[in-house]
Amino acid sequence: MFYYAIKELLKRKKLYLLNVMTIGLVALMIITLNSLANAYREAARLPFQDIQGNIIIQRNGNVPETTSGVLLSCSLAPIPQDLVSQISKNDGVKDISTALALWVFDPDNFKRVSGVDFHDNFGKTLAAKLIDGSIPSTDNQILADKTYAQKYSLAVGRETTISGRQFTVAGIVGTAGNEVMASDIYLNLGAAQEMAYQSENLQQVETFNKTDVNIIFVNVSQPDLKTVTQDIKVIVTGSGMNAGKTPLGQTIGGYNIYTPESFENQISTIFRISDKLTWVISLVLFVGAAIIVSRNSLRIILERRREFGIMKTVGFKNRDIQIEVNLETFIQILAGFFAGLILSSIAVVVLSHTTVSIAIPWELTAYPHFLLSNPSEANVTQMHPLPIGLEPLYVFASLAIIMAVGLVTSFLSVWQINKFKPMEVMRHE
Amino acid sequence: MSNIVNVSQLTKTLGNVRIIDDVSFNIEKGEFLAIQGPSGSGKTTLLGLLAGLEKADDGNIVVADKELTSMTEDELAIFRRYNVGFVFQSFNLIPTLNVVENIALPLFPEHISRKIMFERAGEVAKAVGLTQRLDHYPNELSGGEQQRVAVARSLINAPNLIFADEPTGNLDSKTGQMVVELLRKLNSDRGQTVVLVTHDDRIAKESDRIIKLLDGRIVHEN
Repeated sequence: MFYYAIKELLKRKKLYLLNVMTIGLVALMIITLNSLANAYREAARLPFQDIQGNIIIQRNGNVPETTSGVLLSCSLAPIPQDLVSQISKNDGVKDISTALALWVFDPDNFKRVSGVDFHDNFGKTLAAKLIDGSIPSTDNQILADKTYAQKYSLAVGRETTISGRQFTVAGIVGTAGNEVMASDIYLNLGAAQEMAYQSENLQQVETFNKTDVNIIFVNVSQPDLKTVTQDIKVIVTGSGMNAGKTPLGQTIGGYNIYTPESFENQISTIFRISDKLTWVISLVLFVGAAIIVSRNSLRIILERRREFGIMKTVGFKNRDIQIEVNLETFIQILAGFFAGLILSSIAVVVLSHTTVSIAIPWELTAYPHFLLSNPSEANVTQMHPLPIGLEPLYVFASLAIIMAVGLVTSFLSVWQINKFKPMEVMRHE
Repeated sequence: MSNIVNVSQLTKTLGNVRIIDDVSFNIEKGEFLAIQGPSGSGKTTLLGLLAGLEKADDGNIVVADKELTSMTEDELAIFRRYNVGFVFQSFNLIPTLNVVENIALPLFPEHISRKIMFERAGEVAKAVGLTQRLDHYPNELSGGEQQRVAVARSLINAPNLIFADEPTGNLDSKTGQMVVELLRKLNSDRGQTVVLVTHDDRIAKESDRIIKLLDGRIVHEN
């Protein structure tokens, strides 16, 4: 019977080409669209690779009246240690890192300074980018970004002044300017906190305590991400967290919580929609394919009714003919599926050579606009190769949908074949 | 000689028309029987009833000791596979299969190897003189050759009965005569019973017996 099915399909390939093409197209669309949506989801996580976390917490601050001395990176507000402690108690939190991003307006230049704990996850990630020297071992040592060091002729062992205080360059790091929390200078968190605490200009804008930070990186296992994010939202909107006034009498700002989902929303609306409408799209593809394939198959069966009449006459049972037709349908399904799989693989390879651009929110890479020669330089964008791959889940999903199309076609074909009365077919010659 | 077909009080109605009307007759084993009658007289319907392709409204049909009227569709299919061979006016070959595959068609539902299947088909093809055409497709054959393929297909399971419905209708007289001679030879050499429906008096005269139908009734038998 298999032999007969193969001969039938090969001898009348033009009739069956529509079925194979439709099935191939369905496989191509399901695999490629879903892999693309998944790739954008993965791409949204890429900015978080630099911080070894998947939740970033910041607090909206106030704009300083003067731009001199040490200020909190605009417009961030201090986050109390109490909040860090509360978040770290959450069972879903694997680890937590904190940092303090400062803007230092010295008379000779402006620099972005980050206070970092070089022993927490964020600090270790930074240390991994060390290209010369070592990480600071005292509060008088700093790491300088490679670009900044070149611009100001800094090298390991050289001294530099930050807000009137002398520091020795312990190491040079190769950070990219578009990374989250990219800075010119990195120093021990305690030293940065002391610097901020002592700044009169800063204290006029916000009330800064010695242990405050202004950015928190939370590392959460992927399945817990939504729950932990929700828990953090509950904590930061809890009583006392937003109460009070700044020294200037302004209201203390609310918290911003960034997750990969925040980036997903901005990198591709289309695939965000397609991701949400996966079931609807799959249903539409299933119905469309089922209609096209079934109609074509029924048309072919009608054309072959004499053939089925002959088969019944020479001793084929209805079941034999049903097996024969189902075998033909199954072979078409497999041929279409493999054609779709090959096309999807080609599409994935082609798409993997494209890039995706992710705009990093201002607060995560803040730089004073007025110091830039071109204001558009403030818009920091990360370009990543699209992290697309052939996802087995979507391959199986497409196969399942195609099989469902095959089942509908088989059911209708069998129903049609059962209606044929051999004598009626043979009589109408 | 014993009967291979016993038909008694057979009736078949299509719509309001009684196509077969209270027909009774017997066919002996090894007989070459011709059924004649004008168009619409019920010849093809009678053949269909004898082969179990149609269900009778009333009466009994016993073929090769099997009561057809009480058999299920599947039982009738198996019955046809091993007991009945069919030859049609328009050959009714499968266009996507070549000669040897068309001959082997009744064996396809059986679980036997392709090698054995095609060996058997080749032997039958030899019997009808088609050994040079085994790889050809129906559209590459003449009408006479196609009908010989149909005859070979009807023989593949060595059936007791061969039903031929106007087998010469689409052939020129010379080729038609050759096909009838082939059927006659099978009948005499192999002892297979042949029931031949024909308009042609010359062909009918070559049979052992003629049944004439008119309006679903047997009007003459000799």
